[in-house]
Amino acid sequence: MPLVDPVTMSSSIAKGAAAQAVQSSPITKGNESQQQQQHPIQLRQTPLAQSARHALPALIAAVFLIRFDSLVNKPDPAPTMKTSLPVVAALQLAYAMICLPVAGSAGSQNAKASSSRKPRLGEKKSKSGGGGGGDGPNGYVAAVLSLVLTTFVTPFLYIVMILFGAPFLTHGAHTFLCAAHLAVLVFFPLFYAHGVDSAAWAAVGSFRAPFDETFGGLVGGVVGGWLGAVPIPLDWDREWQKWPVTVLCGIYGGYFLGRILGGTVLFGKRF
Amino acid sequence: MPPPQPVPTKAPPAPDYKTVAAQFATAKRAKEVEDATKAHEDIQQEQERSSLQDRQREALEARRKASYEKRWLWNVAFWVWMLTIHVVGLAYFTSGFLLTRLMLDEKSSCDAPPTTGNEILPAWKGKGTVDGGCWHPKTFERAVVVVIDALRYDFTIPVDDDAKFHNAFPFMYDTALRSPNNSFLRPFIADPPTATLQRLKGLTTGTLPTFVDVGTSFAGTAIEEDNLLMQLRDAGKRIVHLGDDTWDALFPGYFEADMSKSYDSFNVWDLHTVDNGVIEHIFPLMNRKNDWDLLIAHCLGVDHAGHRYGPDHGNMTAKLAQMDTFIRDLAVTIDDKTVLIVMGDHGMDSKGDHGGESDDEVEAALWMYSPNSVFGRTKSEFATPPATAKIRPVNQIDLVPTLALLLGIPIPYNNLGRPIEEAFAGAAGTAWDNLAAAESTAAAGIKRYQASYFAAQGIKESNTTPDSPAEFWAKAEELLSTTHSKRGGAKDKWAAVYSAFADYQQETLARCKSLWAQFDIKNMALGIAVMTAGVFTLLVYVTKGAEDDSGAVDDPELDLAEKSLEMQGVKADAEIISARNMDKTFVGAALLGALPIFGGGVLQSFISGVGDWYRGAGFAALTSTATVLVTMYESKETLVNLIPKTVWGWMAVVFTVSQSVGFASNSYTIWEDSILLFFIATFGFATALAAIRLPNLADRYLSIYHSILFVLLGRLASFSKLCREEQMPYCRSTYYASATSSTSAPWQLAIPFVVFLVLPSIIKAYLVPSRSYEGLAPAWIGYVFRTGLFMAAAYWALDAADNGNWFPGLPANTLKTLSVYLAQTILGLALVAGTTAFVWAPPCVSILTAARQLGTAQVTVLGYGNAHGARYLLLPLNILAACFLLSKPMGGGALAIMMWQVLSLVEILDFNSLTFEAIGPVMLAVLGNFHFFKTGHQAVLSTIQWDSAFIPLFTIRYPWSPIVVALNTFGGQILAVATVPLLVLWKVSPQRKGLLVLLSRAYGLFLAYFAVEALATMAWAGHLRRHLMLYRVFCPRFMTAAAVLLVVDLFGIVIALAGARCNTMAIGEVFGWVE
Repeated sequence: MPLVDPVTMSSSIAKGAAAQAVQSSPITKGNESQQQQQHPIQLRQTPLAQSARHALPALIAAVFLIRFDSLVNKPDPAPTMKTSLPVVAALQLAYAMICLPVAGSAGSQNAKASSSRKPRLGEKKSKSGGGGGGDGPNGYVAAVLSLVLTTFVTPFLYIVMILFGAPFLTHGAHTFLCAAHLAVLVFFPLFYAHGVDSAAWAAVGSFRAPFDETFGGLVGGVVGGWLGAVPIPLDWDREWQKWPVTVLCGIYGGYFLGRILGGTVLFGKRF
Repeated sequence: MPPPQPVPTKAPPAPDYKTVAAQFATAKRAKEVEDATKAHEDIQQEQERSSLQDRQREALEARRKASYEKRWLWNVAFWVWMLTIHVVGLAYFTSGFLLTRLMLDEKSSCDAPPTTGNEILPAWKGKGTVDGGCWHPKTFERAVVVVIDALRYDFTIPVDDDAKFHNAFPFMYDTALRSPNNSFLRPFIADPPTATLQRLKGLTTGTLPTFVDVGTSFAGTAIEEDNLLMQLRDAGKRIVHLGDDTWDALFPGYFEADMSKSYDSFNVWDLHTVDNGVIEHIFPLMNRKNDWDLLIAHCLGVDHAGHRYGPDHGNMTAKLAQMDTFIRDLAVTIDDKTVLIVMGDHGMDSKGDHGGESDDEVEAALWMYSPNSVFGRTKSEFATPPATAKIRPVNQIDLVPTLALLLGIPIPYNNLGRPIEEAFAGAAGTAWDNLAAAESTAAAGIKRYQASYFAAQGIKESNTTPDSPAEFWAKAEELLSTTHSKRGGAKDKWAAVYSAFADYQQETLARCKSLWAQFDIKNMALGIAVMTAGVFTLLVYVTKGAEDDSGAVDDPELDLAEKSLEMQGVKADAEIISARNMDKTFVGAALLGALPIFGGGVLQSFISGVGDWYRGAGFAALTSTATVLVTMYESKETLVNLIPKTVWGWMAVVFTVSQSVGFASNSYTIWEDSILLFFIATFGFATALAAIRLPNLADRYLSIYHSILFVLLGRLASFSKLCREEQMPYCRSTYYASATSSTSAPWQLAIPFVVFLVLPSIIKAYLVPSRSYEGLAPAWIGYVFRTGLFMAAAYWALDAADNGNWFPGLPANTLKTLSVYLAQTILGLALVAGTTAFVWAPPCVSILTAARQLGTAQVTVLGYGNAHGARYLLLPLNILAACFLLSKPMGGGALAIMMWQVLSLVEILDFNSLTFEAIGPVMLAVLGNFHFFKTGHQAVLSTIQWDSAFIPLFTIRYPWSPIVVALNTFGGQILAVATVPLLVLWKVSPQRKGLLVLLSRAYGLFLAYFAVEALATMAWAGHLRRHLMLYRVFCPRFMTAAAVLLVVDLFGIVIALAGARCNTMAIGEVFGWVE
């Protein structure tokens, strides 16, 4: 057929969209080229950071294990989840501020500038010490903002859990707390390290980011939570089968595994 | 009213698309002529050349069309072969798995009691004759047996609540309480399957029904084993039957023709004809007691009320009240020599259905009455009928020895039941010798039967193990002889003898229940082997050549070059030819592999004269798949292809395999609907995240939008639930008005109206972006389809008005008549007119010719880019309209959501370039299964919505009624299989080549999901054949999977492949053949 017709959806939309893209945000365009070169997040090299890197996850795990008994054996797991949430949040906050480079700092910066700025990394770090912030952006501000973002993301995670089949009319607090734990554990460090950098988030969201502790934690937490739903239907009538204990266990287990693997053997690798 | 006409699929009249083709050709010629003028060529010469080209082109098109038709036929032949393999595999497994029991021909006879010596009772007058009582002194001359179908035990006892099915039938309870010596009421436990035919077999032979009886259920074969009616008939007694005609099928020629009257059994719509007929005919007979010896009356109203409305409905109260009056009146007419027995043959579940083995389904009621004081209680606390069916239940088979001994006939040979205590305990409740005599006689009969059974099987009964029935027998015998020797001793010694024989009976029954049936492992294994080979072949078929995307040629230049080459007679690439003719090769190989063995089997059966000509089918299927696999291997198909290469491929594998593994667990089988929702959400979120990678911003957002929509709709549909008993208490049914009803709630009636308003516009919204809302689409989708939906909505409103009697002034049956004709019109519109329109329809395109500048013309074809998909969409919409009507309001809403989800799915696949991945067909299959649950079904027999047969019909009519029930039951899967071609055809322009190969692969992947599930459920059911939950969970799931596989096999060929052919023909006629 020699006759070619221009009216197809893909072509017309492609045109419009292309125009849109050009119009709306040249920044996006720039970011897209960056996206290919997204770099893994290097933890701070300070001795404090290096020891906190191992100590804090161990602490969170300890908190989880200590609370596990009351989580399972109390008739209602919600209060336990509620009381342990601030503890976990505090530990994650400490982890972020001690170990992670704050969003916009050299450690979390990528490609474009990293080669030129790398030599300076050491100097700056020694200057700022273990205090909190990084170079440039203030660590405390970033931490507060990340907490706010984490709060915002929780309702969305809650909706996602509902969509996966979590109870809609009942167990609202349980599901919401489970979403909050997921947010604090997995999303908080990402917010701290990436801020609202859309390119970085696009890479993370499409699972194209390189593995590091934060991204590994995300993959692990999400996959763990997904697998955590598997034992729910079994008719074993165990206490630990009640909603959302298994999912919570999956999130924590997956998060630790993902974080450890992401920080070590998988570091820098991509899907 | 004639049933809907068969759907015409062939021989369409001169299609409408010819006009579009002419339009297109004219427009094209105008452009060519204009081009020619521009080139300053001699017009004359140009015209000559173009006419020559036209002729060449026509010849080429004709050749391509013929080749397409031939390849299509071979492709269909391949899928027919696959269907055959599935049928053979399922049939072999089923024949070995569905339990069979040896039928013994022995009959009990009056003069040969099973007892040997040690008589407990002194000789009575007429011993050994029917007149005096063959094996036990006779109590009654005649019996009236009233079967009230589905009379659950709690319907008959006082219950402290307001349920409509409680406290409406107090007569039997009151009588039993008031005069315990004249009557007793006890729970009456049915052995599953709780279908009437199996129950009647159990109630007359005293044996346990086996699953193979379900197979014969539809044929309704006569009982050939020894049974109560046979014993009575052989003793010259006269039997009269009124009511359910199942009895006629089981006992042909047994009944006194002039007094008996039978009625259609399955007309569940009709609550009153059977009962009124029974009541009308039974009372005259009560004045002619010397003309009959056994009177059987089988009422169906309660059962039908349950099926139609569920127990919690005013009609159930009315029905039970009617039964109360009936039994009250009947009891008055009973004389001293007659016993009246009223019983339910099974119960009903919370929605009024039955068939399975849940507690509510097996717990029926039994009431016996005589004006003579014959019934007693061995303990005073037994005088009050049990408060629940868990207390002092009687097995239904116990009726057989009880009635036989009461009437003085021999206990049927195969009986496993024991006499009911009340009937032999004497009015004072102390006749232990009588009880012991009755019990030992029945036990001796069981012992004799077991011995014959083991002998017939060629197995020696072991009597060494402790706690074996033989051990119990020895103990009872010993006790009997010691008690016997000191005859003058205390009378209550007989109580011990009685309980010793009762122990033996119970132990034997338990053994029989657990170990009775003989699975035919050989046939089961062969069935599994055939299915496995079939699945493996299917997988190799769908993965072959997945890499060389044969449909990718979308380049007009290349096509033009190829075409001109072909016109010059140059053959296309040999490899392409062989790839296209693969189906032919495979079918040839399949026949080559199958025929010798199958022919051998036929020949052998002919020579040996056994008549089982099909005996070679299993091995023929195996050799057939083997030769096909070898052929596939020869065409460079390797096992490596089976391993997925992308994350999407893995996702398809994980969804299919994890579910199949999960079928090994009853929990995962029970919660399948939630698991499917989980998969749907997983896929939707995965594609939403994947869409972030799309370079184009608009594509990205649209794709994310459709992904989220896909998940949201799935979650929305998940609110339509019909819980199975095992899901309790974690599940709330929403499909009907309440958990104890099978009618829709008033608010649910609004759902079809919402769908009528919204769905056509939604579909339009999916067609408009590709400019495909052209041609027939606006008229068909906007008006005809919408009208069909409106009429379906109106149907359900009428139905509710009829059920609820909203217009009491109307003459009877007005609404029912109206709604049936309305339903017939809808089905005619959707299936007959719809198919005709689909065959006829031009592509959904619009051709515009506009003069652009002076002397130049521009031809624009709106909707060209989605020409294939938009036109094909009309077919699934017709199927949807039919299923929408048949699925009840809630189910119709679910199916509408499913259609929406399918459209989103094809968009998602298109955006993310997943069209050729396995995940598309697998997700479609998941959707189909998901909406099977959302249309008010579960993988249990009792959720089959039999009443749907009466939506377009007044009575049962073959073959229409089963077809209607199938469309209701498998609506989700049928809609899914009808939309399989959309996966391949959506957003595909007429230039796309190799669509047949792509479609065949997509259909194969779709089928593979169901085939793997059928294989998995089959293997697990076979492996767990001694599992407690076999008949509750695993067996019904296997039967569902098997039925679904055959349905998608069949409908895939009839709808998907045939529809795609029509579509390709129409597109090819208009835009030229590219295949």
